[in-house]
Amino acid sequence: MTDLNTSAAFLRDLLQKAGVTGYAIELSESENRELNTEQQNFTLYRTMFNHSASVTAYIAGRKGAASGTDLTEEGLKELVEDACAAAQSAEPDDANGYAEHEPQETFTLGPLQPDMERFHDRLRELMDTVARDYPKILLMQIVASHHTGHRLYENAGGVRFEAYEGEYSVMLEYAGHEGDATTGLAAGSITLRDLDTPILDHGLLRKQLRDTEDSLVTCPVGGKFTGTVILTPDALAYFTYMLISNYMSAGVIMDGTSQWLDKMDTPVVSDKITLRLQAEDDRLVLPAPFTSDGYRAENVTLIDRGVLRANILNLYAARKTGRPVTKNTGTAFVMDPGDTPAADMIKSVRRGLIVGGFSGGQPGANGEFSGVAKNSFYVEDGEIRGAVMETMISGNLADLFTQVTAVSRELFSDGTLAFPYMACEGITISGN
Amino acid sequence: MLQDIITPQRALFSDGVQTILRGHENRSRRVVLVKGNLVQNTRSHGRGISARVTKNGRYGFSSTASYTAEDARQVLKAATENALFLDARARTPGRFYPAGETLHFDPMLPIRDTEQKRLVELCRTVDDHIARAYPDLLSRNVVYTEDSQDKIILTSDASSGHVTYPRCYLYVILTAQTPAGVPVELFKAFGGLGSFDDWFDHPEALYPEIDRLYQRLMDKKEGVFAEAGVKTVILGGMMGGMLAHEAVGHTVEADLVLGGSVAGPNLGKRVASDLVTLTDFASEAFGRRAPLPVYLDDEGTPAKDVTLIRDGILTGFMNNRETAQHFGMPAAGNARAWSFSDEPLIRMRNTAVHPGTSTLEDMIASIDDGYYLVESGNGQADLTGEFMFGVTLGYEIKNGKLGRALLDTTVSGIAFDMLRTVDMVSDRMTWSSSGFCGKKQPMPVGMGGPEMRCRISIGGR
Repeated sequence: MTDLNTSAAFLRDLLQKAGVTGYAIELSESENRELNTEQQNFTLYRTMFNHSASVTAYIAGRKGAASGTDLTEEGLKELVEDACAAAQSAEPDDANGYAEHEPQETFTLGPLQPDMERFHDRLRELMDTVARDYPKILLMQIVASHHTGHRLYENAGGVRFEAYEGEYSVMLEYAGHEGDATTGLAAGSITLRDLDTPILDHGLLRKQLRDTEDSLVTCPVGGKFTGTVILTPDALAYFTYMLISNYMSAGVIMDGTSQWLDKMDTPVVSDKITLRLQAEDDRLVLPAPFTSDGYRAENVTLIDRGVLRANILNLYAARKTGRPVTKNTGTAFVMDPGDTPAADMIKSVRRGLIVGGFSGGQPGANGEFSGVAKNSFYVEDGEIRGAVMETMISGNLADLFTQVTAVSRELFSDGTLAFPYMACEGITISGN
Repeated sequence: MLQDIITPQRALFSDGVQTILRGHENRSRRVVLVKGNLVQNTRSHGRGISARVTKNGRYGFSSTASYTAEDARQVLKAATENALFLDARARTPGRFYPAGETLHFDPMLPIRDTEQKRLVELCRTVDDHIARAYPDLLSRNVVYTEDSQDKIILTSDASSGHVTYPRCYLYVILTAQTPAGVPVELFKAFGGLGSFDDWFDHPEALYPEIDRLYQRLMDKKEGVFAEAGVKTVILGGMMGGMLAHEAVGHTVEADLVLGGSVAGPNLGKRVASDLVTLTDFASEAFGRRAPLPVYLDDEGTPAKDVTLIRDGILTGFMNNRETAQHFGMPAAGNARAWSFSDEPLIRMRNTAVHPGTSTLEDMIASIDDGYYLVESGNGQADLTGEFMFGVTLGYEIKNGKLGRALLDTTVSGIAFDMLRTVDMVSDRMTWSSSGFCGKKQPMPVGMGGPEMRCRISIGGR
């Protein structure tokens, strides 16, 4: 049994016979084709056929879920039994539930059929271009895949969504190499709708390769000082994830550790910052069209010119905390551009860093962060002096987004996110 | 446990290629209580078959989320077509890697299922205890996780067998508020190799350790920022394990050596003080079962220990069959895959620094102004050996005595530089096994170490 609609009908029937009146079902089937290269050679070609089913049962206010890959009748029966057993082991909770009365809809997004010959040729072209244009780059690995999937969601509230989705994605891992000198590991990735243009022409891939070559020339940063940090779009996306996790996500709102609990509709960061979570955006290949609660996803403004407008709360967290549910729990984040050319941002730095990556864990609940600045460059009197090694940056997440001096007017998208450059002051920088 | 439909498929293997067929099931259970609210209560499993076919060194791989003889035939066919696709377009000549030992392995560890009700009850019992005993906490999370792998591996030219790897953990995460109203947290993982009943029959046995965690959180609540700069520190055993895994272990994975890691040009050279010996243990360590024992890898190589650093000299890399041939080293069972749809990659097993002869008390007494860094929350490193570890629990050392606790901070450095500064190593080991290593796929790994005195860069305000 692999037809999703047949499986869904079978599950509905099983749940009905088991007396389960509240439920949500998710079914999926997918095919992934993945080409891998190592050191400029194709080494591995993978084809993965997958399918899965997930059942969430709601029994007298109790909730339990089970998922698995066995879509035979026997497998689906076991799944329903597992979900019911899990629900019966829980306590009743009024916050449990799912969306109701959403319009039924089918989505078709991205390229559903791969052209693997052309993909192979584009990747060969990429490797040849890197060898020719970036001779100091050692291209360690490329993982390039085409994913096509079919998903079905339905619940007892009459909600039903179906999505047919496809995308190409390419992830590069590389390092700068010259003689015995090696840079740290660098990575770039891009998600694409088509293969009409060379892969390296997308996003910031070329700039990232050039920056890695430039990282072979290092510049010592002595001592500790407070300076300006310019976050590249990749680094800004990383810090934004941390910001959301620490202050706006369901976990920290529910357990009360967010320091923005009572800050809704008040300024929380610089008025230069507008952050959105997108459901429809031409710059992004596959924003999630519906949520796991069964809501049709919407574009949500999280922070509007510095003012907190929404947290990211699923239905359970929303009910538990008496706050509105967020009808988008995906990861398609977009930050609005500013009005400063990126080149001018560097010119205005007296002393600081351009930070391309950050090696540090998720900050604790207090937002304090410290970690190693990776793929980063020292800037003094408006000029880039060289790459840095063993240099740490530290500060507070909320402060970092408050002490913003400029946001670039250029915006860069990797197909999954879109972010500008952002400069902020007051960051502690310590060299070795 | 998986029924063996894999072994009868040997007749489908083709001549002129190297073939691995793997039946593979992952099972997981998860219960999450946040401040007493049950926010996750899930059971899941994934079962399927994969085939890897190698033609002139080019790998074709295919997998399917079904588990029948017909599925085995289909993935073998698709994997063969993929290998031929690459081989037909290759610009360089390929080669076969040598055949391995042909042994057979039977499962060593049973995978036992537990009713979901008991998992929820455990979390509820522990959560109730915490809520009662420590009412001043800002928040508490209690998380039960269980994952297991069950694999049947059949190879054309190496070992075959059936292996199982069950593990389960209970995480307790406590959050308190500093006098300034800022949240601080600490966590502890209980459990390890095995199933629920091996670890959690008596929840009250966990309470003394939870109380210790709470007391440490109270220390941290009054904690101070570390002073940034290069300091003499004692890295706790958890930190030593993190160093062994992140900062050294990844640089000596042979695929990353080929990618230009700092270990390549340092083979046979001094990279640490002579007090440092580091091993990736397979199934036993220091006369006992390793935290997460591995017996047979997913290329059919029987697992053996790999000595990476001996008395400060870099002595070896971790290999798969292909890189073992490249470097002229023995393959030792490091090629592992997480799920049925994953190909084997070079992964660590139980990577640890060996204990020394000093006592922790003597080490603390030897420092006038420094830090004792006890627990780490996370760590990252790159090809240069430049590393960063988050420090979630630490204490000042002043005039040979422990002082105030530290707020969260970070240490960083270059592994082979920092290891040369190690001048005292404690006589005891701390292991951890609850985490996943991330390298394209997740993978359960063990890591461990003794306390080490060294010079290291510490972040702070």
